[in-house]
Amino acid sequence: MAGMVPPGTAMLGEASAAASAKKINDVGKKVDFMNLPCPIPYEELHREALMSLKPELFEGMRFDFTKGLNQKFSLSHSVFMGPMELPSQSAETIKIPTAHYEFGANFIDPKLMLIGRVLTDGRLNARVKCDLTDDLTLKANAQLTNEPHMSHAMFNFDFKGKDYRTQLQLGNGALFGASYIQSVTPHLSLGGEVFWAGQHRKSGLGYAGRYETDKMVATGQVASTGMVALSYVQKVSEKVSLATDFMYNYMSRDVTASVGYDYILRQARLRGKIDSNGCAAAFLEERLNMGLNFILSAELDHKKKDYKFGFGLTIG
Amino acid sequence: MASRVSLKSKGKSSVGKVSKGMDDKSTTQCLKEWSNWALKKAKVITHYGFIPLVIIIGMNSEPKPQLYQLLAPV
Repeated sequence: MAGMVPPGTAMLGEASAAASAKKINDVGKKVDFMNLPCPIPYEELHREALMSLKPELFEGMRFDFTKGLNQKFSLSHSVFMGPMELPSQSAETIKIPTAHYEFGANFIDPKLMLIGRVLTDGRLNARVKCDLTDDLTLKANAQLTNEPHMSHAMFNFDFKGKDYRTQLQLGNGALFGASYIQSVTPHLSLGGEVFWAGQHRKSGLGYAGRYETDKMVATGQVASTGMVALSYVQKVSEKVSLATDFMYNYMSRDVTASVGYDYILRQARLRGKIDSNGCAAAFLEERLNMGLNFILSAELDHKKKDYKFGFGLTIG
Repeated sequence: MASRVSLKSKGKSSVGKVSKGMDDKSTTQCLKEWSNWALKKAKVITHYGFIPLVIIIGMNSEPKPQLYQLLAPV
């Protein structure tokens, strides 16, 4: 009795059998949990959202010239003239007009990357990335000044496993941090971090997750410092992607939400965003010729009544 | 008499303790001073020597660029 199928349901039976066969085929590409892809590094979790929503906005004039002597070695000269904002506690923004020239040398090799930039007032900005072995990478980042007690340095040791990454961070001022991220499914990766700042006697713990497919990336991060950050990026087409970001600090009850777009066109790249703090920004990079880029940047902060416009040229 | 003797012995033991304490402090202090000195020297060396180091490594990489290419704008 159990095996008898009534004749009327034969057609239905076939259709449902075909549908279930297709489902089994899809599921049949079973997830191989032993061969998960390596996740992206913990600090680059919000990479896509940051690229779209936080371009390098500036105010004033910027001119960058990069001269390559070699495939790997290049020198860069950069001139900047414009107001620099000083951090101030009051609601008014204090701007001081400055001009500086920056000389830089870059050596970029698959195994070793050295980037150094020195300004006219003696400040050095150095970045080193060295692959000690196939899996272990040393990264160092330093800002050195002539003034005492104003220099910072940070060393990171990254270890890349089959489907996980760990990182150990040491900084000056007794700053220690460690993070770990693991691929849980082919699309989802979860991670956590812990840090301890000796000078400020603060320590913190954080968790993060990232879900990505071909068309979208969603990330979330929670930290014990009170920060909750969520972001979502949708790749609408090859040329267009839309991003949105939500940041909430449950200690200071600060909320910021922003929505932005990123158009990657043949000759130009246009990024724009609008914020819940009443701040609208846009950044355009236009390729005038081979190696010649024209940059326009605008940031309108309606709440603070601070309007910043910048233009620049990048050669090389 | 007895009180004087006891005072003397107390004095000796306290002097002994103080000198032992100073020895302990000085090893850790020595270590701190040395590491501070080393960090200061490392900072000065990095500050002045990082960009020349990158330039030297770059000029010695293949294909070797010429010296005039460093200064010429083209």
